[in-house]
Amino acid sequence: MTVGYGHGPVLDRVSLRVNRGEFVALVGPNGSGKSTLLRVLLGLLTPESGDVTLLGEHPGRLSNPGRLGYVPQRARFASDLPATVTEVVATGRLARHGWWRRPRDEDREAVTHAINAVDLGEFKDRRVGELSGGQQQRVMIAKALSSDPELLVLDEPVAGVDAESQRQFRDSVVHLIEQHNGAVLLVSHELGAVADDLDRVVVLKQRVVFDGTPAELRSRGVSLGVHAEDLPLWLEGLD
Amino acid sequence: MLPLPWPFDRDYMQYALLAGLVVGACAPLVGGFLVQRRMSLLGDGIGHVAFAGVAAGLLLNIWPVWTALAAAVIAALGIEWLRARGQTSGDLALALFFYGGIAAGAVIASRASAVGKPANVLPFLFGSILTVTPGDAIAVCVIGIAIVATVLIAGQAMLAVVMDEESARVAGLPVDALSAALAVLTAVTVVAAMRVVGLLLVAALLVLPIATARLLAKSFRGTLIFGSAVGVIAVVLGLAAARLWGLAPGGSIVLVAVLAFAVISAVRPMRTPPPSAHDH
Repeated sequence: MTVGYGHGPVLDRVSLRVNRGEFVALVGPNGSGKSTLLRVLLGLLTPESGDVTLLGEHPGRLSNPGRLGYVPQRARFASDLPATVTEVVATGRLARHGWWRRPRDEDREAVTHAINAVDLGEFKDRRVGELSGGQQQRVMIAKALSSDPELLVLDEPVAGVDAESQRQFRDSVVHLIEQHNGAVLLVSHELGAVADDLDRVVVLKQRVVFDGTPAELRSRGVSLGVHAEDLPLWLEGLD
Repeated sequence: MLPLPWPFDRDYMQYALLAGLVVGACAPLVGGFLVQRRMSLLGDGIGHVAFAGVAAGLLLNIWPVWTALAAAVIAALGIEWLRARGQTSGDLALALFFYGGIAAGAVIASRASAVGKPANVLPFLFGSILTVTPGDAIAVCVIGIAIVATVLIAGQAMLAVVMDEESARVAGLPVDALSAALAVLTAVTVVAAMRVVGLLLVAALLVLPIATARLLAKSFRGTLIFGSAVGVIAVVLGLAAARLWGLAPGGSIVLVAVLAFAVISAVRPMRTPPPSAHDH
């Protein structure tokens, strides 16, 4: 696909495929087009040229939107939001059971399962505004998981969150892939927590400049391990 | 007439009570979503345009409630259209309708007066709950039922939209339709509340009970229920005070709502602020 905003292409002939059961990380320096690619994939933006297929359908027109789970960048909750963790996560289930229908037992079970999957069971009746930033991010992940997605798209989900939340994030993503054969597309500068679980890393800078396994990236001298600074430095070098 | 105790022993007080209770209970149901969307003053903006509708009704010899309703719905959809398309920020869109509405109302009312039409707009600006007729009370009840039904059916989806519009769109929710529905619901509530507290105070019943409820409730559902309860209490105490001391009913109701917020704020323990993003 090619996408531009009138000042030349932001994405130039980008071709990318994510397969079922695959865990793919999308990285790139600031302004590389990651957010634009995400918006196209989510059906929020139409490319100038090229075809985009999401779960075999046109993005934004999924016959069952619950097949797609989306975790936006953190800090989307208003700090004074008077809603409980369960209420917030339950809104994610609307994509699966239909917004006009009353939730059934299976919907309530899916919500509880998603909350437990991110280890927030003891906080289910707590107001989200009272949780830490990392815990709030786990609420967002539970919200996305509650619709039993086949593809989970995450936009910088662990930026600045604590180690425990990063570990929980890793566990819930691996659970989705291993137990539900789902696919995960992760946009992040911090891959340390999931470095050992990734199938592919895609580096974007208007074009795809690298698409391969973490091992292939390591062979270029870029380490993804926890506390490793190689990836940020390498991305800086691409600027 | 029901055998209610003083001060609700008279017919006119019972009609006022019925209309007031419905508005007091239902306005916060809509206000809960507006406050979360940072559109607390939407009711005020719509109310000012409804004033132009009232004046137009007086000029054209049409029942002002109909013209106010038409103006309020158009204004609500217009403000939502400007906000959603990012043509202007939410508060600037409100300001445009706010001042445009009050100016148009003043001009049209003065024209009605100039051509010899009765142009007494004060009952619409400050409420006239003690003159509510059985027909008015029935109309308000129908509006109340519509509000409750809409919130029961679409409340969870509306919560998803006001929390995060982009995620709601990705989840396939009809964000534009739900936003428009919320705007129209606000317009209808404004017109229903017009008889109770007046157009100038109409936003108070949408927002103040919710502001109080947010101090007490632990959930969004609880916020709406507490808000309705505060709205009902404000109406009952405000009407009683108005009858007892001969006060303006609309102002009395709103002052009770303000007092409720002040008292709860003073006695409620401070909420612990959430830890920073890096804390667990």
